[in-house]
Amino acid sequence: MSLAEKIKVLIVDDQVTSRLLLGDALQQLGFKQITAAGDGAQGMAIMTQQPHHLVISDFNMPKMDGIEFLQAVRSNPTTKKAAFIILTAQGDRALVQKAAALGANNVLAKPFTIEKMKAAIEAVFGALK
Amino acid sequence: MISDAAARRVHVIQGEYKVVNDPNVVLTTILGSCVAACMRDPVIGVGGMNHFLLPGSAGALASGGDATRYGVHLMELLINGLLKQGARRDRLEAKIFGGARTIARFSNVGEQNALFARQFLTDEGIKIVGESTGGEYGRKLEYWPSTGRARQYALTGVETQKTVALEQRPVPVAKPAESSIEFF
Repeated sequence: MSLAEKIKVLIVDDQVTSRLLLGDALQQLGFKQITAAGDGAQGMAIMTQQPHHLVISDFNMPKMDGIEFLQAVRSNPTTKKAAFIILTAQGDRALVQKAAALGANNVLAKPFTIEKMKAAIEAVFGALK
Repeated sequence: MISDAAARRVHVIQGEYKVVNDPNVVLTTILGSCVAACMRDPVIGVGGMNHFLLPGSAGALASGGDATRYGVHLMELLINGLLKQGARRDRLEAKIFGGARTIARFSNVGEQNALFARQFLTDEGIKIVGESTGGEYGRKLEYWPSTGRARQYALTGVETQKTVALEQRPVPVAKPAESSIEFF
């Protein structure tokens, strides 16, 4: 079993299309255990029930945005160890610094290529294969 | 009634998007095979437009290629821009324009682009309230975000050819400046 197959990933994005594309990219990288949620609140509900190893979350979302979601994940004892990669559509430096300060493991700018996504995940987990 | 003379014209170029909440602004663009999605929240009168050309077979969302992700990105930037100005996602309505058939091209890129826009909006549950896509001639488009009114003029054959030629140039796509944010 490859490392990718062992990692449980939670995708959080408010856009259906983005969730599909993220899921598709993860599958291309060999991930098999993928769950998706539409916003931070839903993501948190899933995380507390069944913690995932890796969270890939959009920043700009209604209800609970990516930063609030990150804070919630980091402040809950059940979920705080999860790796957290935040997605940003605007490449906003202030946001990146805030995410880093709050304990995000990496940032992935949209639109990403499969290679960029792979690099962002491998920077956290090491080589996937 | 909006007086055209008083309206401030804001041009949207390929790879770009604009969001406005000023009733005196008209968004304009010129489309060959490119597609422009115009979106607005009719309740608060905020609206915007993007303008893109996805190469190859980006029409199939399921293909998950780089072109598709770029198209989704431009749609997302427009939607995020609208939400930031107070629009509500469930109230958004869209019109799509462009995607003229290009002559001397093997695949119909314009049609693929229109297909992409239509499928994206449908998947996201955003109402399409107007559409004019395809055909052999390019379009000059005007869109009033506050009212949702759109007006288009057909380009002549020569103008269409010029526009399409310009669109095919490698353009610096709106990639985020910090696409490889390196820290940690």
